[in-house]
Amino acid sequence: MLTKFETKSARVKGLSFHPKRPWVLASLHNGVIQLWDYRMCTLIDKFDEHDGPVRGIDFHKQQPLFVSGGDDYKIKVWNYKLRRCLFTLLGHLDYIRTTFFHHEYPWILSASDDQTIRIWNWQSRTCVCVLTGHNHYVMCAQFHPAEDLVVSASLDQTVRVWDISGLRKKNLSPGSVETDVRGISGVDLFGASDAVVKHVLEGHDRGVNWAAFHPTMPLIVSGADDRQVKIWRMNESKAWELDTCRGHYNNVSCAVFHPRQELILSNSEDKSIRVWDMSKRTGVQTFRRDHDRFWVLGAHPNLNLFAAGHDSGMIVFKLERERPAYAVHGNMLYYVKDRFLRQLDFNSSKDTAVMQLRSGSKFPVFSMSYNPAENAVLLCTRATNLENSTYDLYSIPKESDSQNPDAPEGKRSSGLTAVWVARNRFAVLDRMHSLLIKNLKNEIVKKVQVPSCEEIFYAGTGSLLLRDADGVTLFDVQQKRSLATVKIAKVKYVVWSSDTSHVALLAKHAIMICNRKLESLCNIHENIRVKSGAWEESGVFIYTTSNHIKYALTSGDHGIIRTLDLPIYVTRVRGNSVYCLDRECRPRVLTIDPTEYRFKLALVNRKYDEVLHMVRNAKLVGQSIIAYLQKKGYPEVALHFVKDEKTRFSLALECGNIEVALEAAKALDERSCWERLGEAALLQGHHQVVEMCYQRTKNFDKLTFLYLITGNLAKLRKMMKIAEIRKDMSGHYQAALYLGDVSERVRILKNCGQKSLAYLTAATHGLDEEAEALKETFDPEKDTVPEVDPNAQLLQPSPPINPLDTNWPLLTVSKGFFEGAIAAKDGFMDAQEGLGEEGGIKEEGGGWEVEEDLDLPPELDIPAGAGGGAEDGFFVPPTKGMSPAQMWCNNSQLPVDHILAGSFETAMRLLHDQVGVVSFIPYKALFMQTMSRGRTCYLGLPSLPCLRGHPQRNWKDCGAKQGLPAVGLRLSDLIARLQQCYQLTTSGRFEEAVERFRVILLSVPLLVVDNKQEIAEAQQLITICREYIVGLTMETERKKLPKETLDQQKRLCEVNICVVVIHTSVSFLKLIFLCVCFPYRWLFLISYHRVKSVPTIQTRKILSACEKTLTDAHQLNYDPHNPFDLCAASFVPLYRGRPVEKCPLSGACYCPTYKGQICRVTQVGRDSGPPCTTPVNLKSSS
Amino acid sequence: MAAQQGDVDELFDVKNAYYIGSYQQCINEAQKVKPSAPEKETERDMFLYRAYIAQRKYAVVLDDIKGNSPPELQAVKMLAEYLSSDSKRDAIVADLDQKMARSVDASNTTFLLMAASIYYHEMNTDAALRTLHQGESLECMAMTIQVLLSLDRVDLARKELKKMQEQDEDATLTQLATAWVNIAVGGEKLQDAYYIFQEMSDKYSSTLLLLNGQAACYMAQNKWEEAEGVLQEALDKDSSHPETLINLIVLTQHMGKAPEVTNRYLSQLKDVHRAHPFLKDYLAKVT
Repeated sequence: MLTKFETKSARVKGLSFHPKRPWVLASLHNGVIQLWDYRMCTLIDKFDEHDGPVRGIDFHKQQPLFVSGGDDYKIKVWNYKLRRCLFTLLGHLDYIRTTFFHHEYPWILSASDDQTIRIWNWQSRTCVCVLTGHNHYVMCAQFHPAEDLVVSASLDQTVRVWDISGLRKKNLSPGSVETDVRGISGVDLFGASDAVVKHVLEGHDRGVNWAAFHPTMPLIVSGADDRQVKIWRMNESKAWELDTCRGHYNNVSCAVFHPRQELILSNSEDKSIRVWDMSKRTGVQTFRRDHDRFWVLGAHPNLNLFAAGHDSGMIVFKLERERPAYAVHGNMLYYVKDRFLRQLDFNSSKDTAVMQLRSGSKFPVFSMSYNPAENAVLLCTRATNLENSTYDLYSIPKESDSQNPDAPEGKRSSGLTAVWVARNRFAVLDRMHSLLIKNLKNEIVKKVQVPSCEEIFYAGTGSLLLRDADGVTLFDVQQKRSLATVKIAKVKYVVWSSDTSHVALLAKHAIMICNRKLESLCNIHENIRVKSGAWEESGVFIYTTSNHIKYALTSGDHGIIRTLDLPIYVTRVRGNSVYCLDRECRPRVLTIDPTEYRFKLALVNRKYDEVLHMVRNAKLVGQSIIAYLQKKGYPEVALHFVKDEKTRFSLALECGNIEVALEAAKALDERSCWERLGEAALLQGHHQVVEMCYQRTKNFDKLTFLYLITGNLAKLRKMMKIAEIRKDMSGHYQAALYLGDVSERVRILKNCGQKSLAYLTAATHGLDEEAEALKETFDPEKDTVPEVDPNAQLLQPSPPINPLDTNWPLLTVSKGFFEGAIAAKDGFMDAQEGLGEEGGIKEEGGGWEVEEDLDLPPELDIPAGAGGGAEDGFFVPPTKGMSPAQMWCNNSQLPVDHILAGSFETAMRLLHDQVGVVSFIPYKALFMQTMSRGRTCYLGLPSLPCLRGHPQRNWKDCGAKQGLPAVGLRLSDLIARLQQCYQLTTSGRFEEAVERFRVILLSVPLLVVDNKQEIAEAQQLITICREYIVGLTMETERKKLPKETLDQQKRLCEVNICVVVIHTSVSFLKLIFLCVCFPYRWLFLISYHRVKSVPTIQTRKILSACEKTLTDAHQLNYDPHNPFDLCAASFVPLYRGRPVEKCPLSGACYCPTYKGQICRVTQVGRDSGPPCTTPVNLKSSS
Repeated sequence: MAAQQGDVDELFDVKNAYYIGSYQQCINEAQKVKPSAPEKETERDMFLYRAYIAQRKYAVVLDDIKGNSPPELQAVKMLAEYLSSDSKRDAIVADLDQKMARSVDASNTTFLLMAASIYYHEMNTDAALRTLHQGESLECMAMTIQVLLSLDRVDLARKELKKMQEQDEDATLTQLATAWVNIAVGGEKLQDAYYIFQEMSDKYSSTLLLLNGQAACYMAQNKWEEAEGVLQEALDKDSSHPETLINLIVLTQHMGKAPEVTNRYLSQLKDVHRAHPFLKDYLAKVT
């Protein structure tokens, strides 16, 4: 049993689940009805109108109503939205035991101690039927969920089934309401015709407390004071007792069918809840309480939830976990559904069953650990008694039929939890809470002493997270030591980010995010249960509680993304999709709006361009985000959101943005704003704004002083005038004082009657005339002329030399991103540029231009050990084994394999035998290159020479002796290289081109191809190379030829035509050329090469020009009508039928005179070799 | 090492970093750790200096280790001297031969290791094996395996590996040695070898040693594209690491890249590591 929620209250006598919302009603012995939200664990409302215990309680399925019945004989119908009782139904004459709504009709069914059952119409608010027949208290009466039946239980030891179809018919007939009302009396008077007893079930020896229908089958369950739970079956005509469940040792209070499983739940005054298997009639589980007797049970109509009321409150519980066992790897989700392991591809959303699980456990799979390397899973199953828990190790079949997947034999052992710690190792926490490491055969490899631990979690290769009572420890299995510990109580799940840089520890009501070293980064408390979580690509943790999808940044910021109706289990988050499994194990995809957390993430990471983008484009307004920004110290960002001037003003002040504040202040135009702005501006020395603020607030004193200190004398004088006008004597005087205007001061003093002061001022400052005039006014009788202090000093501020017009200079603060333009971010790009350098053709190393014949080194052997004779008797050093390279030579007759093995000598011999190669100088580069790709390197111990790997083309099935090297030369690559040669030809770099063509040609014998078609292609490749080489050498030859004599010119012409013909044969232009006069042909050739895409007009022009000058003046060695080959050495045509020597490799033809010489095309082969079928090696040939 | 099995090895991080080729981390760890006993201190210094040697910072070792330092460290110094100068090598080897002719303190594993290293560098595998035979530490066995593999005696290497696995199957060295042998065995074992390297780089950090190991596995399985990714990562870490370059020479050809690309790596290799065995072989063929 998993308790989801518990309350403390007076005795709970009635319970009802809301069918949709997470609510449960509890009616109490003290007259109160409580409405609880069991998910949020809060009391939503209290209804206290009944007098005395309330026993009956029921939610209406659709309307916001519930009904209650109490010991005050009253049935009350309530509206929970209006939070009041709508009306009361009176009629029962004793305690009311139960009250239920009908699922369809506007009826209420009540059972009472007055021995009657009544049906009420809550719309007309009348009683429509009274069911009499029980001769003791009726403890319970319920409608059938589908049929027109009622079941009732009574202390008269019977259970009765009533047929109420008559009542339904009467109600459905038109104008029924009227007859209803009258009908009641009819019933009362003439005996029930609307509702008749169908079956009376006798069998209990004591009073029956509860009876309930099965939701689908014709079954009834009842619980009685005889401590028994009975199951009854009925059909149209009769009903009989099926079986009895014995086990309770006190009165059974309540018994219900499990809405979806073959189970019965009952509870009793013996303080226990028992679960019974319906088919076996045996007890499955028992849950006991210490002190509280149970009184009532409620089952949720749709969810796997139950509620039980007892002496001091109630509990909401479910029988088993509904969390699916799942594991995510890359794009794949593995999860267990109904005895199958299924695989879901997130990308294609293809969902397949990959294997069937071994049956035999009555408990669902608790958790799963997946091993991608071995494609194996560990499935842990937890029993009620933890010690009986087991795990299964399965290897997932590679190929599987989704309809009927294999059921591979798994390996089962006992153990609480099993998780992978390496590719071929997993850790098992056994029931003694010690840690075992096992291998893929499920054999114990070693036992590890661990600190006390009650649960283990995956923590990457070679590590585990161990949970103990108050914390989680990161434990290195190999080193057998704890690396780090973090305090968090009762972690239930652990979610690692994909790069294992962060981990989220999920407890019931808390989430802690840690880094790889298990240093706590943040701690989040949730009021509602935390269910699951997954890391989003950008490093945001998305998690679910019972009713929300939320996010958490590693900085600790968290918030709600959206609400949920039912709990889900997040498997993966990508973009705005949340992939999850629901409680029915169905994979689902929910969409979320990721803007908020992305925004916060961007803020935290200071990616202001992103922030700005989001500010501008996303709909991210609202007080919360502004408050967030302000709180987190980003007032300048918040400023961009705010439209409200007041907030804008205060934000601007907060981030010291005087301009924006001024704007806002102007719009607001409030005294307090100006004052605050003035203060802020003064701090920044922004005296123009200060001036404006003082002006707006009419703060003359401060303004005057401001003018003084900024040396603005003109304005100061103006201020004096204003003061005079305002009759502000002291202000006026002060301004005059500031200005050093003595006569003005004298005037002021005089005007305000301070004659003596005026006189003194005048006298002191040497205004004699004035002083005299003032002296005159003194009345010698009354006034005494004050003494003038001869030492009096002139009190006058020194006049400013330079009035301050501009604002005080501020330190140049680097402008925040939001104030200025986006800072250029060049610096980031530079680092990467150096890497991708490719393409530039580099000169080949100089070492290759060795002219002398290749001196073949002997087969390289490891030098024999020095101390051959120094045997010490203990240890005989082993002899050298056969290297894979040697085996390659043994296994293959292909030259390339020998080259790869480094055995040049044999390779040369093979080449000589197979394609008649005699000179290996041009092959040298190819040999070296080929050899260099034959072996890879890997490092053994540090500072030692590396070890060599031998890539083999048949590595999968060669075994130890049959290896053949990976060739690494592909026909397609050679063909691709042709393009480069064509380009060289086009750009007229003939010699280079010839070199390249030759390399390609020479490479062909080193190919290993797969099929006949490739042989043909390879031969074609040879032909192309040969023709180009001949053609291009001829062209270079031709350029060198002298032109003086006729003979020479003739020769030139011959060469020319051959060049053309050769090329035409390559380039399909034969027709055009065959009739063209020779002297011009070379011109054309050049032009052909210059402009590869020959425009036909141009061609024709040349042709016509040629034809005009067609004079066959000189006899040339050329017969245009006879097909011919060209001698590759002398470049004379060799007409068909004449003797010809052919190079076995290239197939180039030669005049017989060149017999025995090196082939000019390949420069390796003699032009008379043994007949050769093909220079190309088929893979199978060896 | 056998003696330490069961209890926590305080130098674990130091050794581990050294073995997986994370030399700087080894040095850092060694400077951080506070050994509990003087032997541990020597052991720590040994790894510290060997890490310096692996980084080719011979001068540090030669300067730091004085005449009065423990014999283990003297052995390390000998290797540093050997590696630092070509000219002195013959003298050092001769000296070593003499030392070996006399009875050797077999408990000085470090000396055995260093001597074997020198012999191995000299390609005197017999002497190397004979030396290693006297030691019983995991590292001696690992080096034995390496020498045997270089002799293409996979069968013997497997036997030796079995011994290692019996001693401590999960030790980093055992794991690494398993990977070497697996590469040599080939076939399905290649994937196992790959996983070993992969696991280590997951667990600790990816190093050139591990990356090249992975690349060798990939290439042995003809998975050229995958190997390219791994080698690119290695190249990013150190653009003149000889083994990486050699593997790239192999790889670029197999991927059908232009010969110039391959030649560029070859030239780089010639530039920096003339004395590398690969080049020695190679240049021997040239002439």
